[in-house]
Amino acid sequence: MSALPLQGVRIIDACIYWAGPMATMLLADLGAEVVKIESIQRLDFLRLLGGWPSADGYEFSAAFNGTNRNKYGITLNLNHPRGREIFKRLVEIGDVVTENFSPRVMENWGLTYDALKEIKPGLIMLSMPGFGTTGPWRNYVTFGPNVEMVSGMPTISGYPGGEPMMTGYIADPAAGLMGAVAVVVALQHRHRTGKGQHIDLSQIEAFTAFMGQAIIDYSMNNRMQPRRGNRHPSMAPHGVYPCKGDDDWVTITVSSDEEWDRLCDATGNPSWASEPKYTDAASRYSNHDELDKLMGEWTRQHDKHEVMQILQGAGVAAAPVLSYAEFLDDAHIKDRGFFETVTRPLTGTHPYPGFPVKLSETPVTIRRPAPTLGQDNEYILKNLLGMTDDEINELVEAEIIGTKPQGWAYSMEADEAISKLKDIHARGDDSKKET
Amino acid sequence: MSGTKVLDLTHYIAGPYCTKILADFGAEVIKVEKPGSGDVARAMGPFPEDQPHPEKSGLFLYLNTNKKSITLNLKSATGVGILKSLVKQADILVENFSPRVMPSLGLDHGTLEEINPGLVMTSISNFGQTGPYRDYRATDLTIWGLSGILYEHGEPTREPLKMGANVSEYVAGLYGALTTISSLYYRDETGVGQHVDVSILEAFHTMQPTMTLVFSMAGFIRHRAGIHFPWGILPCQDGYIGFFLPTQTHWESLCALLEMPELREKPEYETPLMREERRDEITAIIVSWLRDKRMEDVFHAAQELRLPLTLVPNTKQTLEMKQLGDRGYFAGIDHPVAGKLTCPGAPFKLAETPWQAGRAPLLGEHNEEIYGGQLGYSEELLTKLGDEGVI
Repeated sequence: MSALPLQGVRIIDACIYWAGPMATMLLADLGAEVVKIESIQRLDFLRLLGGWPSADGYEFSAAFNGTNRNKYGITLNLNHPRGREIFKRLVEIGDVVTENFSPRVMENWGLTYDALKEIKPGLIMLSMPGFGTTGPWRNYVTFGPNVEMVSGMPTISGYPGGEPMMTGYIADPAAGLMGAVAVVVALQHRHRTGKGQHIDLSQIEAFTAFMGQAIIDYSMNNRMQPRRGNRHPSMAPHGVYPCKGDDDWVTITVSSDEEWDRLCDATGNPSWASEPKYTDAASRYSNHDELDKLMGEWTRQHDKHEVMQILQGAGVAAAPVLSYAEFLDDAHIKDRGFFETVTRPLTGTHPYPGFPVKLSETPVTIRRPAPTLGQDNEYILKNLLGMTDDEINELVEAEIIGTKPQGWAYSMEADEAISKLKDIHARGDDSKKET
Repeated sequence: MSGTKVLDLTHYIAGPYCTKILADFGAEVIKVEKPGSGDVARAMGPFPEDQPHPEKSGLFLYLNTNKKSITLNLKSATGVGILKSLVKQADILVENFSPRVMPSLGLDHGTLEEINPGLVMTSISNFGQTGPYRDYRATDLTIWGLSGILYEHGEPTREPLKMGANVSEYVAGLYGALTTISSLYYRDETGVGQHVDVSILEAFHTMQPTMTLVFSMAGFIRHRAGIHFPWGILPCQDGYIGFFLPTQTHWESLCALLEMPELREKPEYETPLMREERRDEITAIIVSWLRDKRMEDVFHAAQELRLPLTLVPNTKQTLEMKQLGDRGYFAGIDHPVAGKLTCPGAPFKLAETPWQAGRAPLLGEHNEEIYGGQLGYSEELLTKLGDEGVI
């Protein structure tokens, strides 16, 4: 195995749900040794999101599997003093502690940065609750959708004239990515100065950084950006157009008059295209509705991939709207080797999206799949903390560690659970285009 | 990031956002701009009163804080030579041209590596440095389209819908910062630099890392479903409130918030699935309850019940949000041409090495400092380079 950039960095990771685990997954990808901590009393909630209500269902969540690769996984009951003591021993041999609880949780356990840096001078600790660790709303509950909502992005997103829209998930991984950036900034500082520090990351503030353009516009013009659908403030055409097929679409964006001329040539110079109301960007913009209709009449006659080929051949930005199944199968994505095939106990062999950045000297790969519950208890406690089998058995008996969740009630076999989930998802399937 | 020297050949959003992170945390970032017009973002709005001006672009002013600007014509041999002498002194070079541009200028990674073996060179591009789409054009919308994310977003009866901010560009910028800093960390340990190839498409796809796996594991594809209960963004008296309330506990707390305990007793709302089937009814109840309620009142009352229901502010309300104000989130920009402006501040707070507010540079503002001070060019030479259109 080749070297990795963060090799030798050990992260003690109490993150659960999505944003925090995304941060530590990216750091693990880059070579950090991440020890993920859950407990048999309280699973990482992400195991339940899309997990199946079957015997080992908590191992089947795609979200969990997709957000915890390259990590070691242990269980540790932090509500028990012995659990917290072991946590502190891990901190002593760690470089970074990460957590995304409400601020009061680590405080209640006495596991604050001030306490932990006494155990480990030079420690870096990332705390990433929704609203940050200070301020009047710091203990408010937020999930990923709330982070997206409070960022204000939904109010500038939506069909023109319609209500605000959101993706419902995008802020979680985005805040996680920011968390990973925060840790490497602090690591680089420690590397040069020996000094650790506490990082206070509000997921809402991290995601609101993407709103810079709208915020500075308000600051300049006291103006709020409208919900523009798929349109752009100045480019035209700029939209999603129907293609041949049942639910097939293509995105087309034209950024200059030269690009527009090339589009006209590539589409056989339809007579309407030379009308004055379409010749320059400003005119096209004021006639965007009509323009969209005419564009749609052309795109509808073609397959979405064909539109990409025709227009990209003329140097115009156009691309099909791919489903996830089509993305998996896309020629470019395959050529880049973006997906990696990984085998994991229980879940089997599947393609997983890989690391989206290629590093020439230290290539990142999926070295291990997401851990099953408590998978690495023995490895970590023996190899890192030097515990004996007797000590480990004691911990199992005291229910401080374990490999089976407490109180896991399941109602159906895996096959039945999958078909039920399919039914639920299929209800969004009545999507027929308006013609 | 103090003590780190970055040569910044980026423009528009993804590249500048990457180097903004480096600059705001203390790196010396030298932004190399095209003489005359500079970064294309200087020509993009928002502008005060919609009057275009190269020093007043809100997009540019937000994304280029704490950087130094020099102008340099990379299409001239002299310009390329000058860039190479700057590369000798740099730790990092970041660029987001289309992949064929740097090699065509004679500035491919191999050449730069020879000049400076410890250099971390980061290339951010729509599709990465390899592959059949390498030279295709793209914008945020086309990237959304290819990523799989657009397909599942929007109303089932309408076209797929993108979010209103350029999310894919920002995400790629962050990946650029993450891998660039990690590579610098590695360089400091080993002396070995490297080439970092960020694909905006792949980067953006990782914002939904689950659904390809769902397809592979269970064989289904999620279709556009819009936002319906247990999701919601619903209007109240002075704005919007939003929620995702999938569990039984959430439902019970919601009934308590609405002060409608009778809803809990209704057999037709007993399970999450039954409630989803009657989502229009439930939504109507919430909407009519919200009509005369203030956004903040509902938000605080819900949070008292530990209900993950929040406000959905418009941009004005974001700027007035008490929590953000209390934490000093927004940063002031004091710019000699554009004046006083407000934009998002620190994306995270480092206790020892805090984020720095600052302003974006004027086009070529630091020519004298960099060419004169750092490269030791004489005033005559600078004048000559100016006359020749090199700087």
